[in-house]
Parts: sequence; C-alpha cells; structure tokens
Amino acid sequence: MTTATEVSPASRTGMIKRGGVLAAVVVAAIALALLQSGSALVVWQSVVTGILTGGLYGLIAMGLTLIFGVLDIVNFAHGALLAVAMFLAFGVVQATGLHPYLALVVAVPALFLLGAAVHRGLLSGRGGGSLENQLLITLGLSLLLENGLLLFFGAEPRSVKLPGEIQIPLFGAVVAGSRLYAFLGAVLLGAVLYWLLRRTRLGTAIRAVAANGPGAELVGINVRRLHTLTFAIGTACAGAAAVLAAPLISITPTLGAQFNITAFVVVVLGGMGNVVGALVGGLLIGLVEQLTTIFLNGQSSLLGVFVVFVLVLFLRPQGLFGRRA
Amino acid sequence: MAVRALVAVLSAGALLATAACGGSAPSGAAGAASGRDEGPVKIGALHPVSGAFAVDGQQMRRGAELAVEQLNRNGGVAGRPVELITGDTQGKAEVGQSEAQRLIAEGAAGLVGTYQSAVSTNVAVVAERNKVPFVMDVTASDAIFTHGYRYSFRVQPGSTVIATAAANYLKEVSARTGKPVRKVAFLHEQTDFGRGAAEGFTKAAAKLGIEVGPDISYDATTVSDLTAQLTQVKASGADVLAVAGYYSDSLLVSRALASVKPDLDAVWGVSNGAYDQPKFVADAGPGAELYFNTNYHYDATKPETIALRAEYQRRYGDPMRTGAVLAYDAVQVIAQAVAKSGSTDPERVRDTISTQEVEPLTVGNGPISFDGKGDNRHAVPVLTQVQGGVIKQVHPPQIAESEPDYSVMWRQR
Repeated sequence: MTTATEVSPASRTGMIKRGGVLAAVVVAAIALALLQSGSALVVWQSVVTGILTGGLYGLIAMGLTLIFGVLDIVNFAHGALLAVAMFLAFGVVQATGLHPYLALVVAVPALFLLGAAVHRGLLSGRGGGSLENQLLITLGLSLLLENGLLLFFGAEPRSVKLPGEIQIPLFGAVVAGSRLYAFLGAVLLGAVLYWLLRRTRLGTAIRAVAANGPGAELVGINVRRLHTLTFAIGTACAGAAAVLAAPLISITPTLGAQFNITAFVVVVLGGMGNVVGALVGGLLIGLVEQLTTIFLNGQSSLLGVFVVFVLVLFLRPQGLFGRRA
Repeated sequence: MAVRALVAVLSAGALLATAACGGSAPSGAAGAASGRDEGPVKIGALHPVSGAFAVDGQQMRRGAELAVEQLNRNGGVAGRPVELITGDTQGKAEVGQSEAQRLIAEGAAGLVGTYQSAVSTNVAVVAERNKVPFVMDVTASDAIFTHGYRYSFRVQPGSTVIATAAANYLKEVSARTGKPVRKVAFLHEQTDFGRGAAEGFTKAAAKLGIEVGPDISYDATTVSDLTAQLTQVKASGADVLAVAGYYSDSLLVSRALASVKPDLDAVWGVSNGAYDQPKFVADAGPGAELYFNTNYHYDATKPETIALRAEYQRRYGDPMRTGAVLAYDAVQVIAQAVAKSGSTDPERVRDTISTQEVEPLTVGNGPISFDGKGDNRHAVPVLTQVQGGVIKQVHPPQIAESEPDYSVMWRQR
C-alpha cells in the first residue's frame, strides 16, 4: 500500500485531468437527474445537500485515511471513537451549557490521548502486529466502546442543539447553518492536515514512514512513536468531526456503524492516505447518494454509492487520487 | 492482506450466525418441560434489553414485571404465585429464537414479546414447534399471521389496521376542521415497516378519494439529512405530509421541515416512532408542535392506566411508554388463561387464550379477544397530536382528551 501525499508534477497534471473527467461525469449526472425529476429546485436542493453531507463524510473519513495510509491499519473502531467523542461533546454541553462548538477544546485533545492509548496499549504490541490481528482488535474495540457507551448512557438517542440555528437561502435551496459550518470545518481540517503533512518536519517524517518504514528507521526516525502519533492525530480528527457533526444527527452508541461503511468507501475512493482525496471522495459520495434517491426512489442510496465504488475499484483500484503501488 | 482478513472475519461471523440458528432448532415437541405443573406459574418475557433497542426493551420488561407483581399482590393465579422469567433478544432474531427455546425449557406457560417484527417472526416459529402460546405485545408486521400459526397471538393493531385507520382519521379530521385533504405526500423508511405502512395507507386513501403522491423512501440506517426529500414534497404541492419512520429519521424530517417550510396543512405520522413520544417534543422543541400520529397507544382516559403510569414514573423515574403497557396487557392475557383453565398445560392455555376476553389498558373498542388468525379483534389505533408540548389523544372522539387542531398553517411559520 502506498500513501499519496507525495505529488510529482507529472502526477499533478494527471490529477487535474482526472478531476476534469470527474467534474464532467458529475455535471452529466446532474443533467440527467434534471430530466428525470423535471424540477430544477428539487435537483438543485439535492446537489446542495449532497455537497454539504459529502463534506461531513469527508470530515469523518480524513482521520481514517491518515491511519490507513500511514499505518496500514483498517481501523474498524473509527466509528465507535466518533461516537465516544459525540457523547463527550454532549456531556460537555449538558454539564457546562457552553456553545457546542467549544466542546472541540475538550474532544480533540481527549480523542488524541485516547488514540495514543489505544495504539500503545492494543495495536503496537506483539499481538497487534499482523494485519488480521489489528482488524480483529479494532473490531473488538468498537464493540467494547459501543457497549460501554450503552452501559453508561443507554440507547436513548440524544441531541445537541445549536443555539441560534439559522437557515440560509441559496438560490431557492435552503441550507441549515450547522451543516454549512460542518462543511467549512471539513475544508479547514483538510487544509490543516494537508499543511501538516506537506510543510512540517513532522509531516515529512510521517510521509517517510509511510513510504518506507525500515528506511525511515535507518535515518533515525522513531517509527513506533510516529505510528502512535499518527494514530492519535487520526483519532483526534474523529474528535473534531464528532463535535461539528453533533448538532446534525441523533447521538446513539451505535451511530458509528452508520458512518463506518461510507467512510471506508470514501477512503478507498480518495486514495488511501490522501486527506484531500478523502474530502473530494466525501463530496462525491454525498452527491451520489442524493442523486441516487432521485434516479432510484425506493432503493437504498447505498446502492448508487456501491455502484460507483465498484466502478472505481475496477477502473482505478488505487483510488481516484491515489498512486499506483 | 486487509481484504483477506476482512473476508475471514465476515465468513467467521456468518458461520457463527448459522451455528446459532442450528443450535436453536428445537429437537421436537418439548411441551413436557420439567416442573411446569408445580411451583410458580412461569411466564416468559422476551425483549431487547441490550443493543440498539434497549430503551424500549427495558420499558417493556418492566411493564411485564409490574403485571406479575400486580398478579401476586392479588394472590397469584390458579392458587399459585406467578414468576416472570426473562430473556434478552439483543434485538437479534437468532438470539431471540434461542432465548425463547431456553424459556420454554425452563417451563414457561406462555411467552410475551418481542418489540421487533423480525424477532417475533422467529420466536413464533419456536413457539409453534414447541406448542407454547406466544402473545406478541409490540409487533407490527402482518406477515406472521399469514402462516396459519395456532400458538401466535397479537395485542397491538397490525400495520394494515394502523395504516387504514390513519387514512380514515385524516379524512374525518380534515373534513371536520374545514380543510378537506386533497393530496398526501408519503415519506417512509424503506424496509417492511415503512413500505407496509405506505402501501396500506395508499390503498385505504384510494377508496376515500385521497390522492397519494409522491411516495418517497429513504434508508433509515444511513440517512443524515432529508432536506432534498422535503423539497420534493414542497414541489409536489401536497397539502398533507404522511411520515412512517423510526425515531431518529422522523426527527430529521422535523428538522428538514423547519428549514424547507413546505405549504402543508398537517404532518401526519403513520405508526411513527417519534411523533407520540414525549422525547420528540423535548428534542424538536417548538418545531414538534401540532404533529399528528396514528399508532397503538395506551388508553390515557382509563383510571387503571393512569395509576399504572404514575407507579411506573415513581419507580423508574421515566414516563411509561405504550410498549410497556402492551407488555403488561400481554402478561394479563396469559395469566388469565392460566387462571380460567386452572392449568399450565400449554395446549389448554392456548385454547383458553383463543376464546377468552381480557380487559385491556391499551386502547381498543372492546376487550382483548383474538380472531381465528390470532390477531386482536378490538385493537384500535389512536390519533395523537402534540399540543402545547404535550402528547394528547385527539381521535376517535370517545377516547379524545382534546380536540384535533388542524388550524395552524405550516406555511405561515
């Protein structure tokens, strides 16, 4: 497996070309949807909603793709960690009455530490070595976390309200403020991660470890510590995603399952390890979901998602923005 | 690699699931469980007390427990004390099946449960093979009653009954309030529950001359926004929106409605999982006001029900939901059959259940009595409405706590 955080000029033109093809396909799909539904407003609202929910998917997938790309860990506990962070955000708002977004100050560091602890305690030891074991460990961890939340909080769905929620009209479509903020947060987080990976010493080290672990070790990088750090950063991203998404959905211990599958599809679509790819993949999946409901009413929107997923795996197994291994 | 490991995990899971099913297959007619004829009368309660449906599962188990305590305070049945033996389905069909098997082996004279149609479908098979009566408290699906099972009974009204009542009530209430309904947009989750509600409603509405369309469905397990669907409703020009969904997705509907603001006269829940819950009012706030719902409901006008709910609230610090009252009634059905037949022989208990009449706490236009298929003849759905932040029964008139309020135009909000 490879990470796609390195971009050479040649692959950059390839990426622009692929982006162009992708945009053309999306435009064609929207035009077809317009023919199908006959109402410009319905399609326009679908596109707006698709882009906004897509941002949310990208947000959730970003941490996952980092962990996947650098550590080769298929982290099935990502959704459960997201749920933990949401309950944390809910608890903070409940206990202090602070603005929900201020829960970031608690959730991000807490999830960073939790991620570090999980990696140190469960994944980096001898038992956690093989990929099969890591898969089973993260699966087990997600069960543990979900049932722990169930024990402490019960299954009753909770919600976090955003004070002064606004509705923004956009050429006939409406956008809830909370959704827009989550979308902008996703873009911002993507930019921060990109900067971190591309422009800092830490990012260079992470990319070095991802590209060639033994080589990185030879030049004096502490690979194990860097792995823990990457896992912790990835988990902290789930913390940020949770706080931004909390006002949008009902918080239940099992909500991770709702996002796990979509997030994995987004990760593979965007190219494993590519945070910007995760964001674009998220947008794409959001759009596909919404357009599927126009084309195939009565079918699961996941149907369209998986059709696109299989097509991409078939045509570009390394993902839309990944490089060939 | 990752893919190989994934396949390994999935196939291991599949193997475990089949093993569980195989293990729960009964070995034969096991009616002769040890100790059924002496000691306490055992009634088995199967509910999802862990897993995603644990909130309702807990409620329902407590409802059954309260029923058993009440029976024992009054001297038990047939001169014997009553004991509730409990099983946790975890919301899973195969677990429900093996738990049913266990409770029958422990000597249950009858079973109550299970909240989910898929689980009840599987438990009904176990009950049938072991010849032990199974009285369903909450189970919407009508499909179970097409197999000709002898040992399956149901207290709540089935999904067709609810959907038909929803259409009739809509016609009546809208006509009475001077804004007769013309066109209903139906929004529902896409599994048997939502689709069944939509089909039943559409069929009944057609007879009443109400147009239904568009019919929009969504996946309740993955949906996180319904704005586009509500825009479709707005574009359709429907004057009423019918919603058949579970709790979280129905809450999403109310949020999307608040931002899209379609020109509707009413929001009409059809066996909706949110619009008759006090929690919905708390979560949706003023946006929940005047939502209707047609569903099974406890009889809020009956003194016994009021007393039971007060007792529940005092003991558990939580309002008692209809599911718990239905479990209470389901236990009464079995207990009374044991008392009447003076026996815990499952065959005699079954025969008595099929002919007896039990006074219910849940709403019906008569006692609980079962038709040839096992469905409660007199189960009647109730129309509720959120009025001033409180869920009120508003229709049919004989059990109404308040007048239906069809006056508010959603378009003015």
